[in-house]
Amino acid sequence: MAKVKPASLAPDTMIGGYRIVRKLSAGGFGVVYLALDREGLQIAIKEYLPASLATRAPGELLPHVLPDKLSLYRLGLKSFFEEGRALAQISHGSVVSVLNFFRENETVYMVMNYLEGGTLQDFIITARDLKKDKVFRESTIRSLFDEILRGLRIVHQHKMLHLDIKPANIFVTDDNRAVLIDFGAAREVLSKEGNFIRPMYTPGFAAPEMYRRDAAMGPWTDIYAIGACMYASMQGYPPNDAPQRLEKDRLSLSMSRLRGVYSDNLIEVVEWCMALDALARPQSVFALQKELSRESERRYTKLSVSEKVRLQFDSVVSDTKKSPKVK
Amino acid sequence: MKFSVFQLSRIGGRGKNEDRMGYCYTRESGLFVLADGMGGHPEGEVASQLALETVSALYQRQARPIIQDPAEFLARALMAAHQQIVRYATTKGMLDTPRTTLVAAILQGTEATWVHCGDSRLYVVRDGQLLMRTRDHSYLEQQNAGIIKFDHVNRNILFTCLGSPIKPVFDKASVSLVLGDKLLLCSDGLWGTLSDEEIVQRLAAKRVSQAVPELVESALRAGGERCDNVTVLAMEWETPDVFAVTQNMAIDTLAGDFASTIQSSHSDSMADDLDEKMIERSIAEINEAIRRTAAKKS
Repeated sequence: MAKVKPASLAPDTMIGGYRIVRKLSAGGFGVVYLALDREGLQIAIKEYLPASLATRAPGELLPHVLPDKLSLYRLGLKSFFEEGRALAQISHGSVVSVLNFFRENETVYMVMNYLEGGTLQDFIITARDLKKDKVFRESTIRSLFDEILRGLRIVHQHKMLHLDIKPANIFVTDDNRAVLIDFGAAREVLSKEGNFIRPMYTPGFAAPEMYRRDAAMGPWTDIYAIGACMYASMQGYPPNDAPQRLEKDRLSLSMSRLRGVYSDNLIEVVEWCMALDALARPQSVFALQKELSRESERRYTKLSVSEKVRLQFDSVVSDTKKSPKVK
Repeated sequence: MKFSVFQLSRIGGRGKNEDRMGYCYTRESGLFVLADGMGGHPEGEVASQLALETVSALYQRQARPIIQDPAEFLARALMAAHQQIVRYATTKGMLDTPRTTLVAAILQGTEATWVHCGDSRLYVVRDGQLLMRTRDHSYLEQQNAGIIKFDHVNRNILFTCLGSPIKPVFDKASVSLVLGDKLLLCSDGLWGTLSDEEIVQRLAAKRVSQAVPELVESALRAGGERCDNVTVLAMEWETPDVFAVTQNMAIDTLAGDFASTIQSSHSDSMADDLDEKMIERSIAEINEAIRRTAAKKS
């Protein structure tokens, strides 16, 4: 039995003084619309409308929350507020900005600036499918992440961590700006210790400490994810997740395949960010920015013959390991 | 491999939640664990937490990215968890040991394998029908199966569990999955108040992200004021496609708030429910922050 998704608001519906143009996307949390404000400027509105807890008939304004779902619905609302709170404090070109927050139709709405473009994930997949030896040019990667780091630095200055940085949460606009989006997982954690709900993590991009309860998260946790995003932008696919790496770390090996394609410095930066030991990573965004912008002369070290042999040998070994058990 | 998963635990009418649940996965394998710490003995919540942590730690060490022999692994992990609990009690010099049930399943390739000890259950639902479920290690189920006969049997009395001085008894089983199969792990807080038919029918009718909260809510309502902890972890097997899981775990986005991993031992999320006043206050605070930020900029 397919569950009917709650209907999105029809074009020209007025909410909070904004006029809906069309639906942009719908996720588990709700619907994002393109809308116009009073001056006719384009903005994006995120409507809290969790598909699993609320229904709405086409043409209706008010969602219907099933009585027995009310407590879950309210709980989800908390996360929505967390995101609003996080974004409200920040005004930076590389961080999606929230313009307004209001209650209407018995739910809540977050008004954000409207971005045109695509996510880094879309770009990586497109580039990867072209099957070139490079996914992105080195200069592209450096400038893209320089922008992201500027935004992230502000986030950290506000004593917040993003905690879910991944290519799908980095938006590249049509006018070539990189913007961090989706702060649903952001928590104010730098200032206070103690009890807070750990967010869900995305394998490959989550630092080892996100899998543990006792470990301290900090700027280095987001920096690990930045390193993993750079890795994905160079390799075309995400890195192994942290538990796998703790078991057997193939990071240097897979990065060595890129030697000669990307500069030694860029490869080192990725490995530095993705160090399994949190203390071995750049401890602040500033430290990373400094290294990333220290672009003197790029050195490219090709692989030696023995290294090439080792690479080949290793891929044979790992292929046999991966092949499914025949029964 | 791709699956949707949803888990939820609620404290019910009890003073504390002694149920623990969680899952972890690699690209080609997934582990799902649920433990129900037992009342009548000390520190049930420690026993269930230790069981969960032990099994998942072993899994994370050995799944690379698959577990060679899931049935054998689960049996060993269960015994290791038992020993951890006993060791804990010994080092603390406890007169009585903490105890827990355990049910753990591994999804790998097209096969689901599980082990259980006690009365936490696993249900397999296919095409809207109950394909199989675990048999509790309780005198009641033994009686129902015609193995023993008593005049009166309390459903709560188990003849085996983890942490007891007697070596645990456990059962292993496995099944080949087909597309759309659903697996559900639950504590007795669920099956004690809802019938098997109801559990199966509700699980079959909707996506796990909807079915699980609904099942938990109905169990809580049926259980009334003194309701036991209710914990449910369910998954739907979607495709064996290897790529899908690295790119996009098919976890309902909303699950982010309720689903915890094994490492983050869950909290009873209902404890800090939002009320009307808090909603209004949150919105006002956010708008105040937006104004302040805008003012700073200009």
